[in-house]
Amino acid sequence: MISESDSCTSSEIDYIPDQMAGGGDPKWQKDASDQNFDYMFKLLIIGNSSVGKTSFLFRYADDSFTSAFVSTVGIDFKVKTVFRHDKRVKLQIWDTAGQERYRTITTAYYRGAMGFILMYDITNEESFNSVQDWVTQIKTYSWDNAQVILVGNKCDMEEERVVSSERGRQLAEQLGVEFYETSAKENINVKNVFERLVDIICDKMSESLDSEPAIMAGGNRGQRLTEQPQGSSTPNCNC
Amino acid sequence: MNEEIDEYDIYHQDFTTISEWEVFIARIEEVLNEWRLSKAKIPKGNLEFTKKWIGKSEEIKFQSLNFTLSYHTLECELNTNPLKDNKGVEGGWKPSTQLHNGIWEATKNFMDDEDGSPFPVSHWYGLKQYLMLYPSQPLVEENQIKLVMSSINIAFANIDCAVPFFLKIREHWQQCFLGIYEDSEFKTSFDTIHLKRIPNQCSHLNGLANLFKGKIASPVSLEPVLMSAKFSYELKDLEPFVWRPPSQTNEFLSIDGFDVEKLIELPFGAEKNPIQSALLNVMWPRFLENAVIDSASYSDFDPLMAPTWTITIKLRENINCLLSDLVGKMLDLLDDNHLLMDTLGLSRSLGILNPLHKITEAPITISKLVRAAMGSTSVSEFKGPIPDDLLMSLLYYIFPDAVDDDSHKYPEDLQVEMKQSDQEPKLCSAVKSSPAGGLVRRVSLVAARLLEAGGLPYLAHLWYEFTQELQYRWERRIRVPGVAAGPPGARSCLLHQKLQLLNCCIERAGVEAGAGGREGAGGDSDDEFYDCSEEEGEEETCERPAAAGRQERLDDAVMKNGAPLYIPKTQEPPPRTEDQVAEDAALLEAQGGGARGSALRARLLSASLLSDMEAFKAANPGAELCDFCRWYSPRDWRPEGGGALGERMLLPGNPWSEAWAVARPVPAARQRRLFDEQREAQQLLQWLRARTVAGVAELLLPGVLRAGAARASAAGATGGAGAAGSDTRRVLTAAARELAEAEKAAARAGAARVVLGGAAEGCPLEAAARARLLAAAGGALPPPARREFSLRVRDAGGAGGAGAPHVLRAALRQDLLLAGCFTEAAVLL
Repeated sequence: MISESDSCTSSEIDYIPDQMAGGGDPKWQKDASDQNFDYMFKLLIIGNSSVGKTSFLFRYADDSFTSAFVSTVGIDFKVKTVFRHDKRVKLQIWDTAGQERYRTITTAYYRGAMGFILMYDITNEESFNSVQDWVTQIKTYSWDNAQVILVGNKCDMEEERVVSSERGRQLAEQLGVEFYETSAKENINVKNVFERLVDIICDKMSESLDSEPAIMAGGNRGQRLTEQPQGSSTPNCNC
Repeated sequence: MNEEIDEYDIYHQDFTTISEWEVFIARIEEVLNEWRLSKAKIPKGNLEFTKKWIGKSEEIKFQSLNFTLSYHTLECELNTNPLKDNKGVEGGWKPSTQLHNGIWEATKNFMDDEDGSPFPVSHWYGLKQYLMLYPSQPLVEENQIKLVMSSINIAFANIDCAVPFFLKIREHWQQCFLGIYEDSEFKTSFDTIHLKRIPNQCSHLNGLANLFKGKIASPVSLEPVLMSAKFSYELKDLEPFVWRPPSQTNEFLSIDGFDVEKLIELPFGAEKNPIQSALLNVMWPRFLENAVIDSASYSDFDPLMAPTWTITIKLRENINCLLSDLVGKMLDLLDDNHLLMDTLGLSRSLGILNPLHKITEAPITISKLVRAAMGSTSVSEFKGPIPDDLLMSLLYYIFPDAVDDDSHKYPEDLQVEMKQSDQEPKLCSAVKSSPAGGLVRRVSLVAARLLEAGGLPYLAHLWYEFTQELQYRWERRIRVPGVAAGPPGARSCLLHQKLQLLNCCIERAGVEAGAGGREGAGGDSDDEFYDCSEEEGEEETCERPAAAGRQERLDDAVMKNGAPLYIPKTQEPPPRTEDQVAEDAALLEAQGGGARGSALRARLLSASLLSDMEAFKAANPGAELCDFCRWYSPRDWRPEGGGALGERMLLPGNPWSEAWAVARPVPAARQRRLFDEQREAQQLLQWLRARTVAGVAELLLPGVLRAGAARASAAGATGGAGAAGSDTRRVLTAAARELAEAEKAAARAGAARVVLGGAAEGCPLEAAARARLLAAAGGALPPPARREFSLRVRDAGGAGGAGAPHVLRAALRQDLLLAGCFTEAAVLL
């Protein structure tokens, strides 16, 4: 369903956020001036320090693996464009620092994200125990409809496993999110996680489109707004 | 079976000789064939229908006349299977039976009921399908009507049409239709008469009954005529039901009568009566012709004795609502991209045009409130359009702490409403909130009311005074009241975040001033240091450089050199409002996607890291990077040999080790500050002043909408949650629309409730409800606004059941509308 395009990372500035207002909110509208994509999804990878967030992202975006990446300072991102239903979806994937001290900085970016990959390390009990905290962070700081997938990374290191798949699954069920065990090193499920997240977001999008079409900008931006002007509070749509 | 189609083919080959009239008929036939409406082709059987009307239409020309031929049918239930072939006929099903039963059943209803079909013929005659030929110009000439009607007759017969076919005649406003239906056994004709005056013999039931029987002129004896009657009385004119507009006052504008309560009481409800008509219907559903006498001189009809009373209400489609108007005026501003201060001609003097112009040198910096307290008039002041007395009252309402009067104090503990629980969607919940009863709500409401009362100049004046007051408070380190404590949270609306940030600045600056040593307000920020009280750790350091800025020990951890490891006091990352976060994000994105971009981002983001490292070095003399990691990033620390770095901290070009290399031991208290409140506050104040009209509207609308939603909910309005989204304006307009819908619905429901009492619309009233209405009417009902009679009879039943029906319906107001349908049975003759 999703195929990759060649232009994985582009160095030019692909979109400029609304300086004034949009602020922390999801940007999923099509930017008419940009011919490179139809939609843009902003995703965030979060989880404890050194669970493999950066490696996971590099595996997906660059298809490369290095056993050690520099510990992320604050927040970083990569871009990848995928195809879904003949639409180019540009994924801007933000990779966050897991250290406690970076919480304030990273949570500021939650508001703009449409999807979260919440990651723990199956060889590290503490990272698993922190999942609930991270969920609370998402609830507190994110946009209400943001979608979450729980990921247990490093599943290639079976000998050192301390968190069973079953516990991961149970937790995910309890949290009402989907669950994958992955390995950035062996390239297990990495692509699946992103594809699934994109799918969930698209589903959610079309759901809310049913109730409020104005969200979807695209070519018919604002069309429905003018459709039923009510009373004197004529909505204006030249946003 | 398809003979006629062959004929029709021949027709076309011989196009030179045919007349316009023939073409017209052929065209009708062509369309009907295309729609498959001949008896042979139409689905048969007892179909189940939904209540939804669907239709199709074609344009047809005849001479100079344009017609629209349309077919209307109730939608079939999906699960009913039409009978194939002629099985239906064998099973006793005939189209005419269905038609006759429909006509008969429909007499249980009255003519003014509606069934949602585009033309009233369907509910007059209980039709499930019909054809309508509608002229674009009224068809009034008798000759023309006859000509067109006979065309219809011919076309109907030629294709053996299975659906009653109507022609709209007379003026468009007159509901006059002629129609036919015919098959091998019956011919039914539908006729309508509209008279502007009621002739004497038609003004009462007995006269109508004579007319009816005369028209049938049946050679065989008829069953007794069944009748029903309905008298309707206008209710909304009755004194207790007279609609009164909601109080809508700009009274707060008159100075002596100024009352904040009046100002903040948002108007709500319809401007005009949402009820178009409210009728009491008094009905006698079914009686025999000889049971009642109703003649010109005497009537048995006594409405008080009628078996059924119902109320029907017709609501206006478009009503203006007051709250929506108020919101709409603010919403309209979203198109105006001029600077708001231009409205007052103040942009230049406020330095908005020239960003280099220093704010502190702006000519007017003394708060109006202070001027008033001092007895005013000392400074040559700007005089805005809002009268001073009114302005002062409004400012005291927004900034109640400026006056010794507790009447409008803000609540103590203001909280930003948390995410709502999923089960109860609230009006406008997609719009970001601010604490209910807080300053943002007050200033937004005052602004909206002023905009309504005095237009843009009033709004600009208020905004000017508002920003002046904020400037004053910043200079004097007086907190802005009515704002939730703490750093800006992205959950609240942007204006609230800005005020939170301003309060952060004021507090920080206040601490600075309190600490004494540093320069006070307005000082140059570059020399200032972050201040966290400088008491040092109790345990005295024994050797070498003295440790500074310790917070506490990290459990019982020791450094690689064996000394206890201390967590330093640190600077908190600077508070940011959502627009600033977006700017930060844009800056990070602008560094590009590659490895180089990542490195640049890491550098941009390392200010906090460096600050923490310096604080750590100060608190832990002789510390190494691995010690720092033990506190800061424990998984990058290894216990081997008393402490070692994890693999990824050893990578070359590592921003951590680079930062560590340049970090000097400086306690947080003496570091360069990460948060420069001087610069932040001044930027923020200038930002507020330099908003466009649209920008200010965008800042104020969330407060107006949320307050409006609260008002609407209090008035019983409900609504679903509009979708949240990224585009602030879109969210605002969607919420405004949602609010307008809710207000309209609530206004209608409220008006209907007054008339209905506890009763349900259209349902027979209980004795109590009848008594209530009668009392409202003063004990006796006024003359009816409308009377309707329905007369029907069936021919003596044939073998297959009931005979063909004849119906006459009469609606009497000032005018008279007669709709009749008479059937001739071919077989009986």
